[in-house]
Order: sequence, then structure tokens, then C-alpha cells
Amino acid sequence: MFKKLTKTKMNGWDWAFVICNTIFLILFCAVTLYPVLNTLAYSFTDGSEAILKNIHLVPRKFTTAAYKKVFNMSGFRQGLIVTVSRTVLASFLSLGANALLAYIISRKNFIFKRSLSLFWVITMYASGGLIPSVLLMTKLGLTGTFWVYIFPGLVSAFNILVLRTYMSSLPDSYEESAQLDGAGHMTIFVRIISPLCKPVYATVFLFVAVWHWNSWFDAMIYNRLKSQNTTLQYELQKLLSSLTQLNPSADSSGKVTDMTTEIQVRAAATIATMLPIICLYPFLQRYFVTGLTIGGVKE
Amino acid sequence: MSLIENDAPALKSKTTKADIKRQSILLIIAGLYVIYGIVFYYLPLLGWIMAFQNYKPRDGLFGSEFVGLKWFKFLFEDKTFLRVLRNTLAMGVINLVATTITAIGFAILLSEVRNVLGKKIVQTISYLPHFLSWIVVTSIVRDAFATKGMINELLLNLHIIKTPISYFMETKYFWPIVAISNVWKETGWNAIIYLATITAIDPSLYEAAAMDGAGRWQKIKNITLPGIRSTIIILLIMNIGNVINAGFEIQYLLGLGVLLPVSQTIDIYVLNYGMSNFSLGTAAGIFKTFVSMILIFTFNYIAKKTGDERLF
Amino acid sequence: MKSKKIIALALACMMTVGAFAGCAKKKSDSVVDWTMIAFMAGKELNEGNEIQEEIAKKTGVRVKESWNTAQDVASAVGTMIASNDLPDLIDGGNGSKMLAEAGMLVAWDDYLKKDEFKNLKEMFSDKQWELFRQADGHIYWANVFGKTYGEPKSRTHNDEAFWVQVRVLEWANYPIIETLDEYFDLLQKYAEANPKNADGVDVIPYTALCEGWRYFCVENAPQFLDGYPNDGSVLVNLDDPDNPKIEDYNVTPTAHMYFKKLNEVYNAGIMDQEFATMDYDTYIAKLASGAVLGMCDQNWDFAQINNTFIDKGFDKLGYNYIPLGLVAEKGQTKNQWHAYADVPNVSSGVAVTTKCKDPDKAFKFLNQCLDQEIHDLRFWGIKDVDYKVGDDGLYYRTEEMRKNWQNDAFRAKHVCNYSYLPQWGGTHRDGKNAMKPEDQESEFFATLSEPLKKAFEKYNYTSYGDFLRSEHITKLGFWYPMYSHSNDMNSTTDYGAAWVRMGECKHEWLPKVITSKDFETDWAAYQKAYADCKPELFLAEMQKELDRRAALGK
Repeated sequence: MFKKLTKTKMNGWDWAFVICNTIFLILFCAVTLYPVLNTLAYSFTDGSEAILKNIHLVPRKFTTAAYKKVFNMSGFRQGLIVTVSRTVLASFLSLGANALLAYIISRKNFIFKRSLSLFWVITMYASGGLIPSVLLMTKLGLTGTFWVYIFPGLVSAFNILVLRTYMSSLPDSYEESAQLDGAGHMTIFVRIISPLCKPVYATVFLFVAVWHWNSWFDAMIYNRLKSQNTTLQYELQKLLSSLTQLNPSADSSGKVTDMTTEIQVRAAATIATMLPIICLYPFLQRYFVTGLTIGGVKE
Repeated sequence: MSLIENDAPALKSKTTKADIKRQSILLIIAGLYVIYGIVFYYLPLLGWIMAFQNYKPRDGLFGSEFVGLKWFKFLFEDKTFLRVLRNTLAMGVINLVATTITAIGFAILLSEVRNVLGKKIVQTISYLPHFLSWIVVTSIVRDAFATKGMINELLLNLHIIKTPISYFMETKYFWPIVAISNVWKETGWNAIIYLATITAIDPSLYEAAAMDGAGRWQKIKNITLPGIRSTIIILLIMNIGNVINAGFEIQYLLGLGVLLPVSQTIDIYVLNYGMSNFSLGTAAGIFKTFVSMILIFTFNYIAKKTGDERLF
Repeated sequence: MKSKKIIALALACMMTVGAFAGCAKKKSDSVVDWTMIAFMAGKELNEGNEIQEEIAKKTGVRVKESWNTAQDVASAVGTMIASNDLPDLIDGGNGSKMLAEAGMLVAWDDYLKKDEFKNLKEMFSDKQWELFRQADGHIYWANVFGKTYGEPKSRTHNDEAFWVQVRVLEWANYPIIETLDEYFDLLQKYAEANPKNADGVDVIPYTALCEGWRYFCVENAPQFLDGYPNDGSVLVNLDDPDNPKIEDYNVTPTAHMYFKKLNEVYNAGIMDQEFATMDYDTYIAKLASGAVLGMCDQNWDFAQINNTFIDKGFDKLGYNYIPLGLVAEKGQTKNQWHAYADVPNVSSGVAVTTKCKDPDKAFKFLNQCLDQEIHDLRFWGIKDVDYKVGDDGLYYRTEEMRKNWQNDAFRAKHVCNYSYLPQWGGTHRDGKNAMKPEDQESEFFATLSEPLKKAFEKYNYTSYGDFLRSEHITKLGFWYPMYSHSNDMNSTTDYGAAWVRMGECKHEWLPKVITSKDFETDWAAYQKAYADCKPELFLAEMQKELDRRAALGK
């Protein structure tokens, strides 16, 4: 219906807009794709060429040495397991926890609506710093465990507010009619509101997943000495910083046979860690690209 | 009070008692969240006493010597800190304006695309740079803006300039370069949230407008923008509070040598001066929180006055 | 349905994690496993590294080394103290003092008195050990680097110099270059005669890196030009030998002369026009392309370009660098670019933490690390696998062995240096070999390119150090190096705050004065801004420390 209507209405201005818009978006894509392709090119370039820089879209002296280095590093498998676990676990838990709280403070008649919002807004801007956090985690017995990745960031003000804003924009009629049917709050939250929130849930899920996937600082601070709990990104950081240290025998003019440089390995690590997120993306993307028709109760 | 104010008139008289009873479960759950918040977010704020001490790891949080406002004085008597504050706020505001406008604009333009596959492809590509670290991005930016780089070549070929510009040897280009880099890296990513909101707009509104003969621009102005208005306002207020966190990595990586007077932010200052000095870092952190809170309260108040969605 | 799947998935994940946490590695029970952190960049060894196992068999200790990553040492140490989460052994770098103050380290004093730890004791003279003593009267660490056993054997120059490509010297028929004027004159003339390399790249006569902590490349040359050794943050004037005085090399006439010269060559286009905002990667790219004729730098900072040189055949074109020890005035004999003496940095070193359950065993292990047998395993490897012994008793490596030791993958599974545990340079206890292979004569000349060999012959030199024409001072002042005192200064003290400010001021102003169109005005402004940082507070503290150390040396 909708499509038909717009098609019949296309006039000269519309065509001009569509053409300009298409050209603009293609240009924009070219500009944002360039750094990725550039990184890809570096990741396949030999180390001794990579330090000369000046590589654009085509690798020089093609090699997969950097990828071998990444996939063969000692902590790869173990780091991957921890990272996947924390990402999956934390994404679902955080989404659930944030959504429930957002539901509560988005109820129009909830008495502590404003004060609770303020309570969480403050947490976004006030931080005690690193040392107090470390002290707290140690006191709670989380230091040196896997759970230090899950609990501290479980509820985050930013995500709550994003969710709340979306939920408040939903028509009140959904909740009202459900209430008249005698549904309790939990039922309304799970059965009525959540299905309507798919686009924003997908967004928040993506935010949380990406954040956890890329985290390494907490692994370094809390699990530095527990090598079975380190994350993939921390292992990669260690690999990268080890490349800045030269092989002790490289300072005589001898040639290091399998030299990989920081630039090249960083590129390979970037590409390798981007792939899973890109694979996850289509599953979430449909929620915020194609949209959904709000059915059911009309206002 | 808020009950009566906010409630729909139809429900008000009927269900007050039941309503409070119904809210009790929400209150209990909210209480659990507050306990969590106090433990994980508010308890560490006890660390703020470090700002009033000569904190030493040896003596710990409660045993270090108190020095009053010494570290705040250190900051405000330092000309460098004032300059760094200026840089931070300037870059924060420029970045905020640039990234917000481009993200909204991009989301709207993308939502106008009818071809679903094309839309998905464009959207996927646009957010990829978000996953590149600043080290990777700055090295590309550096090459692009170099004397013999792409930008200069383009401008020379278009006869806009006659001689190549040394973008990194003059302070006036630095803030724009930082803003452009931010836009380049984050536009697609920032647009996701607006896209999600746009998809929730009821399509029947567009249909009705089309029936009334509304053009593309009018639909954007009268339906799309109002539809994402509350999201824009909420994100804007939250990000205004973050103006004081204008960034660290890009300025640290790009703003070298002659650019230092315009490139250093508070975070870089803290890295340089706060090395081994946890108290100074904490004092700077408190100051930043203070600035953020003032900004948040101010803009939240303005939003309240204009009747918009607000943070709290 | 969906939610059940999700829960199942989450549970599965948790179980995998649990399983991993649970499966402790089984190893022979006679060997203890310790952890060590050194706050430097480094490579982790593979599980079951061959030489590591060999050392474990002989000592009963296996050490898992971890390295610092992208965090400043002070906050890393601060958080470790807060969480009370320490390894068994540690090199705390600039955070060493913080660890000692927090009572996290085990004192060495009693062990140094006992005969069974004589290898450790032997590392330093009694007086030198006093320098490691902290304010509370104990010794908590020992620096493991820069110590020579017997005769020095080193042929490399790993430190700072004005470098010049060997082809430039060859072109000028191997002249002796003494001053900045001669140096830049040579670079300019060569560049005029050869503006492009064989592959069409424009030559850059001179460049200087001034990014972050690497800005020593522009900053500290004045101390060397005046003939002082690398005290790092100050120079020690010995005009009155009984009364050494701290001086500031940032305000000397030589500093003025040096920066004025840089300003002159910058404005004449001899110096890289983009030096002032160049990052390290760009700098290395320029060097590796063979375009840069000369620069001032430490050798370890750019040694990685050698691979590219060999790959591209640049080493045969004479692009390799030769170090020059320039001086302020022609004929000046005062020159200490190359240090012939040992340089113990007393501000950090290896330490045993209170977390270590068996400190006696730890010190025994550190002592064993210096036994010749273990030391050979660490640096030469296993006999007949990693090196051979000639009929004359000299160790040597075949081409294959050499290649192996330069291969990262091989090193990770076979080589175990324990590079931050006690070690020696210089001569082997057998009196013939070198403690470390890179100092062995045969190993050194086997790897030099033709143009370099030719330069060594023409000048009649046998080591890189010879090119620097430094005085053969084998005993430096007892206080040396003074940077071990300024390294861990920070803004918690007045003098520390002054020190931080001075650094910031130089970072900002040095590129400005070099690129200035009106040097004298900007220099005056810089000197004023520098004086506003109150360097006198810092210098007074350094003088205090110098006096303290000098008194200990008497």
C-alpha cells in the first residue's frame, strides 16, 4: 500500500532527491569503507614493507604471516572462549536488567520516576577512579574471577535512558488495555512492551555486545595474573606491545626471518576481531533497518 | 502528586488503591537496583577523599595525610590547566555539534532509501570504522592530511589552493581535523540509535500525510523529526554532560609538537601530571563531574521549560 | 522457547569457563611455578618452552613472565597494591619505590651476607649496593642490566649518537666529522649531489623525532655535545673534582648553539619540514625507505629498519647508519657518547615480593641464574643444538642456528632468556668467550654488510664504539647515572612538579624554536617560559641526591 502510494507520487523533485541521496550515500560508503580496506591491505602486507607505509588498497608482498601470528598466539583459544562467554552472557543479562529497570521508570505513574532517573544519571558522570574500583572488586571477591566482567557493568545508565525514552514513546493504550484485562506489571513488561521494543532492544544488545567484545582493560586490571581468565582483546594487546620490543638479536644487522611488525599485526588483529561482530550484525540489523509494523491495539 | 498529575484521567479515580498495590512489585525491584547502584557506583565515590589527601598506596584510602584543597589549587593556579580546559570544552562542543548533526542527517537520508538491500549495505559499511582503533584511524588521517597527501592533491587539482597546506604545522586546523575524524569514525555508529527510533514511527502517519499531498521534506519535518525528537533531546543532554570528556587518544596521537597548545585535553593533562599522583587525578575527576553536573542540570531544566522529554 | 535456548547457551558458556578454570596444568611436583611481571614490553614464552624446562630441571623453578601492556607503570603498581594481587617476582620499573614503601617486597640484606648467595653479592661492589638502599635502610632490588664481567666485549653501540648513512661517508672519502657545522655541511653537500635515491625517493638530509617520550631525539644532545655522559636529566660538572655540581643542559650556551643550528638547517630546508608533528611510525617509514641521511637517536629506537634494508638490498647500497660522536667545539677531547663503563640504574630492578611463599628459594634461584651453566643456557642455549664449541674453546653458531635464534616462533618454543633476571655482559668465566653471543667477535663480523665492513677497514676501527671517538673512561662518577633519581619523580613533590612542568615546557617549545622565523626572540620566550617552571627546585633536589651519592662513594 505504502510503496504504491509513494511511487505514484514521485515528481521531478523527488527524483532529484533520490539521485542526489544515492550519490551522496555511495560517496559516504566509499569514504567509510576506505579505512577498513586499507587495514585489510596492511594485514596482508609483509612486515618489512609495512613499515614503509604508503599502502592504500592493495597489499605489497602478500603474506598471511600476521594472521598466523594472531591465530597461533599462545592465549588465542583460551582468550576467545572467555571473550565469547562474557559477551554472550553479559549481553543477555545486561539487556534484561536494563530493560526491566527502564520499564519501571518509564511507567507514567511510578512514584520515584524522576528521582530514580537522577540516581542513575549521576552514575554516568561521577566516578571514583581506578583505585577505589579495584579496592571494591577485591573486597567483593571478584578480583581474579570471570564474574568481574559481568557484574560491574550490568546496569548502565546510558542504556536505561535509551530504553526508557523508547518505552515512554509507546502509546499508553497498550498498558491500559492490558491492565483492564487484569495483567500484572511483569506480564505487561514481558508480553506487551518487550515485543514492541525489538528495535531498541537490538540496539542496546549491540552496544553491550560490542563493548564486551572489545574490552581488555578490565582483564588486565583484575586478571593479570590469572591467565585462564584473560580475554582475547587483552591477549591481542599483549601481542601488540610485545612487538614494540625488539628481538634482542635484531640489533646486530642480522635479518629476523619471520619478521612481523606492529602495523601489520595490528591490522590483522583488527580485521580478525571485526569479523564476528559483522557476522552478528545482520541478525540485529533487520530490527532497525526494515522496521516493524506496530500491530495490535490502536490508539 | 505525580500520580495524579501523570495518570490518565480515566484510570485515576478507579484504580488508585490497586495501583499502589500493583506498584509494590515495581518498588521492590527498583529497590534492588538501588542497592546494586549504591554498591557498584556510589561506594567507589568514597575514593574522592583521595583528592584531599597526599594519597600513598602504602597508607591506603583512610590512612593518607590530608592536605585540604591543595590539588584543586594546583590545578587552578596552573596556566596550562586553564588552557587545557579551554581546549577540552572547545573540542567537546565542536565534536558534539558535528557528530549529532551528521548522525541525525545520515539516519534520515538512509531512512528515505526504499531499496532494502541497498539500505542494509550502506548501513553496514557506514558503521565499520567504529571498530577501528584510533591508532589505525589517526595514521590514515595523518597520511590524508600530509603535505603530499590526498586532501592537498585533491584541493590542488580542483584549483582551490595554489600551494599545499601543512595542516599539522598550523594550530588553526587541528580542531576541525579532530571533528572531521570523529564524524568519519562515528557517524554510522551513532546513527543506529536514530534509525531504530525511526523504524518505530507508525507508517500510517506517512500514508495519511501522503494522502494529504505532503512532499518529502514536509514528511521529514512533520513526522520523522518529531518522531525522533525525544531521542535527540535525551542523547543531546547526556552528551552535553560529556563535553568535558572531549577525548584522549586522537588528540594524544595527532596533536604533537607545535600542536600541543591546542591539542591537550584534561585527560592528557592528567596523564602527564597525574603520573604516580593519584590525588591530582582524582581532583581533576571531581572537577569534571562538577562541570558535567552543572551542564546536565542546566539543560535538563531548559528541556523541562520547553516541555520536552528530559533526563530526570 | 527462545528464552530457554538462550539460558541453555549461557549455561554452556559458563560451564566451559568453569571447566577451563578447573583444569589446573599437571606438572612434575618437584618444580615450583612462579609468576613474574616486568613493566616493560616483552614476549611471553610458550607453555613447555624447552630451555625453560631445562632450567626448571636444574633449579626446581619455572617462572611465567608477564609484561606490561599499554598502561603507565605507576597506576599499574598502584592498582596491584590496592588489590594485593602480586606476582612472586617483579621488576617494578618506576613503581619500585612505591612497592617497597607499601611493604610488598622482601629485603635482600640478610641474603647478601650469606655465602651461598655470592653470585648475587658479586653483581655490585659494597659501595654500589649502598646506592640501592632505600630510606628505610633496606635493599629491595638489584638492577640486572649494564654489568660487565671481566673484560668488556661489546662491539655495538646501542645508545645515542648523531647517525649518518655509511654511503655519505664513503662519498666524502671517509672524513672525520667532529662538529655540528661539519655534520650538516656534509649532509647538505651529499644531498645536493645526490638529491634522489636509486629508486627515485627524495633524500631527507636530516630529521628528528619529537613524539612523546621519544623526544630525547631532539632534546638531550647538548649534554653530549659538551662532552658529558648520559646522566639523562642533568649534567654533573667536575671542574672541582671534590665538589661535583649539578648543571642544567637546557640553558647552556651549547644548547643555544645547537638549537640555533637546527633552526638554521630547518629554515634552509635541510631538516625535514614535517619533523615537528611526525609520529613514530612515520619516522620509521622514512628511515626504512633509506631516504634519511642523518638523525640523532638511540640505536635500539630504530634498529628494526635493518630487516627492510636487507630485504630491499639497501644494506648493499650503504644505507646503514654509522654513529658519530659530535662535540661542541672542534678539537674538543671531552667526549662520552659511548659509555665504556658499567651503568647501574639503581632506581629499579628485580625484586622478590611478599606474595612469594618461599623467599629463600627465590633468592637461591636468582643466585643460580648467574651460575655459568644456567647463564649459558639462557643466552647461548643448549650445546650442539644452539651453539658449537670450536677446538680453541670458542663458542660459535652455524648459519642455521643463528637463523633459528632470530626466528620469533622458534624463540617462543625454545629460547628462555629470563631477560629481567640477573645477568652479565662481558667475558665468560672461562676467560675466552663472551657472556652473550651478540658480543662474540665472530658473531659480530659475520653479520656486517659490505659497505659497513669497508668503513670499519678504512677507519681502522673494530667496534661501533670506535666511531664515536669517546674517551675510554672505565670508571664513571659513583653517582652515575643521575636519571635514576629523576625517573620516578612526579607531581606529588614541589621539585617533581617542577620536573614535570619542565618536560611539558620543552615538549611545547623545542619544536617552536626550531621552526621559528625569528629564532632569538622565540628562544628568549622559551627560556622565560622554562624559568617559570622553577627548574631551580628540581636542580636543588638533584644536587642533594648527588651530594648523598658522592658521600656514599667516598
